[in-house]
Amino acid sequence: MGSNLLSLTFLLPLAGSVLVLLVPKESAGRACRWVNLLATLATFVATLAVWSGWNAAKAKLLPGQYALTEDVEWIAAFGIRYHLGVDGVSVALLLLTSFVSIGASMASWNVEKSAKGYHSMFLLLLAGMVGVFMALDLFLFYLFWEIMLLPMYFLIGIWGGPRRQYASIKFFLYTLAGSVLMLAGIVLIWIHHRTFQIPEIVQIAQSTGLFEGKVDGAATYRLLCFIGFFVAFAIKVPLFPFHTWLPDAHVEAPTPISMILAGVLLKMGGYGLIRMAYPFFPAAAVTLQYWIVGLSLASIVYGALVAMAQTDFKKLVAYSSVSHMGFVTLGLASLTPEGSNGAMYMMLAHGTISPMLFMLVGVIYERAHHRDIDRFGGLAWAMPRYGVLAAFGIFASLGLPGLSGFIAEITVFLGSFDRFPRLTLIATLGMVVTAAYYLITLQKVYLGDTPAVYQDKAHYPDVSPRELWILLPLAAVTLLMGVLPGLAMEIYRVDLEGIVKGVKEVGDAIAKVK
Amino acid sequence: MTAVSALLPTILLTAGILAVLLADAVGKGRRPQVLPWISGAALVGTAAVAIVWLAGARGDDRIVLGALRMDAFAFVMTLFCAVAGLVSILATLVGDGNRRPGGEFHALVLAAVVGMSVLGAAVDMVTLYLAFELVSITGYVLVGMRRGDRLANEASLKYVLFGAVSSGLMIYGLSLLFGLAGGTSLEALRVAVAQGAGTQPVFGAAVLLVFAGFAFKISAVPFHFWAPDVYQGAPTAVAGFLSVASKAAGFAGLIRVVDALGATAQRAAGTGTVLRWLDGSPAGVVATVLGVCAVLTMTLGNLGACRQNDLKRLLAYSSIAQAGYMLMAVTMWTPDALASLVFYLVTYLFMNLAAFLLAGIVIRSAGTSSLDGLKGLGYRNPWLAGTFTVVMLSLTGIPPMFGFLGKFVLFASVLSEGYLWFAVIGLLNGAISLYYYAKPLLRMYLDGPAPDAPAVRVSPGAAVLAGVLVLPVVAFFLAWSPLATWTKSVLPTLRIGS
Repeated sequence: MGSNLLSLTFLLPLAGSVLVLLVPKESAGRACRWVNLLATLATFVATLAVWSGWNAAKAKLLPGQYALTEDVEWIAAFGIRYHLGVDGVSVALLLLTSFVSIGASMASWNVEKSAKGYHSMFLLLLAGMVGVFMALDLFLFYLFWEIMLLPMYFLIGIWGGPRRQYASIKFFLYTLAGSVLMLAGIVLIWIHHRTFQIPEIVQIAQSTGLFEGKVDGAATYRLLCFIGFFVAFAIKVPLFPFHTWLPDAHVEAPTPISMILAGVLLKMGGYGLIRMAYPFFPAAAVTLQYWIVGLSLASIVYGALVAMAQTDFKKLVAYSSVSHMGFVTLGLASLTPEGSNGAMYMMLAHGTISPMLFMLVGVIYERAHHRDIDRFGGLAWAMPRYGVLAAFGIFASLGLPGLSGFIAEITVFLGSFDRFPRLTLIATLGMVVTAAYYLITLQKVYLGDTPAVYQDKAHYPDVSPRELWILLPLAAVTLLMGVLPGLAMEIYRVDLEGIVKGVKEVGDAIAKVK
Repeated sequence: MTAVSALLPTILLTAGILAVLLADAVGKGRRPQVLPWISGAALVGTAAVAIVWLAGARGDDRIVLGALRMDAFAFVMTLFCAVAGLVSILATLVGDGNRRPGGEFHALVLAAVVGMSVLGAAVDMVTLYLAFELVSITGYVLVGMRRGDRLANEASLKYVLFGAVSSGLMIYGLSLLFGLAGGTSLEALRVAVAQGAGTQPVFGAAVLLVFAGFAFKISAVPFHFWAPDVYQGAPTAVAGFLSVASKAAGFAGLIRVVDALGATAQRAAGTGTVLRWLDGSPAGVVATVLGVCAVLTMTLGNLGACRQNDLKRLLAYSSIAQAGYMLMAVTMWTPDALASLVFYLVTYLFMNLAAFLLAGIVIRSAGTSSLDGLKGLGYRNPWLAGTFTVVMLSLTGIPPMFGFLGKFVLFASVLSEGYLWFAVIGLLNGAISLYYYAKPLLRMYLDGPAPDAPAVRVSPGAAVLAGVLVLPVVAFFLAWSPLATWTKSVLPTLRIGS
């Protein structure tokens, strides 16, 4: 189509990342954060442009086609192409990414330590994230996917909490171990089909099935490859039992990075499942359906129970992410339109609510320098505006009707109840536990008597305007998505249902033949 | 092309050796200025001859004196080792002024390059062994050149002992092969193996013995024990040279021998398994020895590296592990796999020479080769630390670095033969290696600034040299198609797939 909008979307933060390095040392702190904020805002504007461009183009697209594509030959010897494009699913996640990043950028305002390095890494991370959601060439996708690891490693490792060294290398090793398995899968697909292009691969997968007629035991190959892709993405989601990196990384990461980690990085796992693992290997996805459901239920219930046992506020929020992201894989595994729409909605809802919660934890941690739930109390009376926002965030996360989390959970349930009525009941157990730990936290931290320390206005001022402006937009979107679910759902619904329908039809057909 | 022009690299290098020794003897006072120019000119000339040959007529392979096959592969190896030698000489120049080496260093490097160049071309067992020994003996002396340094003395002695044992085993193996072949030429050996010599019981023993020599040269398990001590004791420039050029030459010789041992004969299409390896055919025997060695080398190399707290020892174990990955390619023995080995060697040339160069700079300024010397380097000298970070990531195989491309090409060639488990072992090893390659990063950045440590100065020459080495490591991913195509065109004239 001749438009370079998508390239621009990832080049903007990349350019910002380089620009930060060129800022002279004396004025580093102030100038860098402005460069960061402006580059992030520019990226947000670019994603809005992508949205409108996609809106304009979508009427003319056939199902499974991508908008705003850029497709140039890159590494001829291996058939690697510089191939970008978006559909509704990627547009929704691009918007989420740049939107959450604005909040995170503002939350990075008071980073003092090596500000240049921090802001440069932040923007490099942003470039990698938007790249992942646009790449339509598996090699390019893998490049973006891995490029994110490095800034994340440093952001946690340098600017993190006391156990940052352990947390950062654990994050790096886990993710790398997962992605090398995916790389093996990518290379196998290339060897037998000589293509890295996602649309082409999906087409092959849905007509004959990958590896069919190319190797003996194509079904086994597909199963192994699916497991490779699935594990790589499940680590990112994170799905029980691949979740153990997450509490460490979240707790040690600085607040803005926790926001990005929870808001965007976990969604890449879900995106990978939707874009690659499921459509590439529909039969394997159907074969392993109950395994995936089992792991999802384990995540939901186990995550909630462990969250309940936490006394560290941030760790509690981290485990709640494990629990909530279980709904994403549960909804997808159902392979119903409702379930998958719900899964995607959960990604967007969790993508705005959990950054809000991490910010709320960050606000109080900055003042109190601890996060021990048992030592807080009555903060809502000492800091009224903060109290209201915190209550809002907590209710949103536990799934109060009228807010986005509720819509997500209810649609996932609709889908999965249809498919696995009895198993879905187990998930409701998770919801009950979630409600319990959130209400207990709300009561312990924000209600009740205020200990004398927290009444000191000088050390415990209410939220500053900057903090307010980070939290309010996130809260506004949460409310908007809760009241008008169609708004966000219509962005991705048609494309997502198309993908899931393809997976289900092919998967069932092959399963029936057996 | 006449025999003389095919031997031009060797002639140039030998003339260089003589000139260096003469200049050293005649002009005592001026020696540090003149010597690098002479040896540099010889190496540049050698590289230029190789480039001209490679750019010109292809398929003009010829056997010279019945001992050397001057094909594209031989010239690639000559080019490769000449570049590595040149970088090592430059590395000694840009470093500390008063520790500049004397004439013997230049002469030895040139002699080593002669040996390597011949090893990459040898098609006669005696020539092969002579070249092999030339590389080894020059190596022993280069390692121990700092006579006052006890670590260097120990390293040199260890190197000699290991080298003597393994080359003894190798010559015994070669003598057995001579018995099987009835001649010293590899062509005779190939014919003999094709006619059934490979099924005799002594064949397996001969393969193992010959392989012992090569395993020593490429630092493969179980003949790797010398590497950590030698790399630690040797000057960093020498360690870098040995880890890159000596290893590449070892692989080149190995490829010539494996070719003759009949590895190609029965490598028909179809999916391979462990059982395919153990089917008792000559090709199966060779592949099994190589494959088992590859797995052990990368795994033990990586696990060994995880325990190191000395930068040079860490790099030594890393280069053991890297040899394991490269052995995978030799095990596969397909045109794609051998092309990927050449590709991998090119990535390795840049990243490993850069690693040793930068390590040398850091070690000189910190006064210790312990990893703690890196503490806070990210704050003291961001450029040096950033460059070192890039190199470590490249060695790990993190995209988009050059090292990732090397691994990608290599594992693709393994997977395309259906050896899924083999590739997965390699890939997981790559993931493990992150643990120790991240150790320097941790010291440089995560430990925070060390307030009392002085800023690290890098001389302009060293900065330029490091830049030249690291630039491809960072930027090559933008357009690596030509290199991938080129590596397929320079394969040795073997009977692959025939």
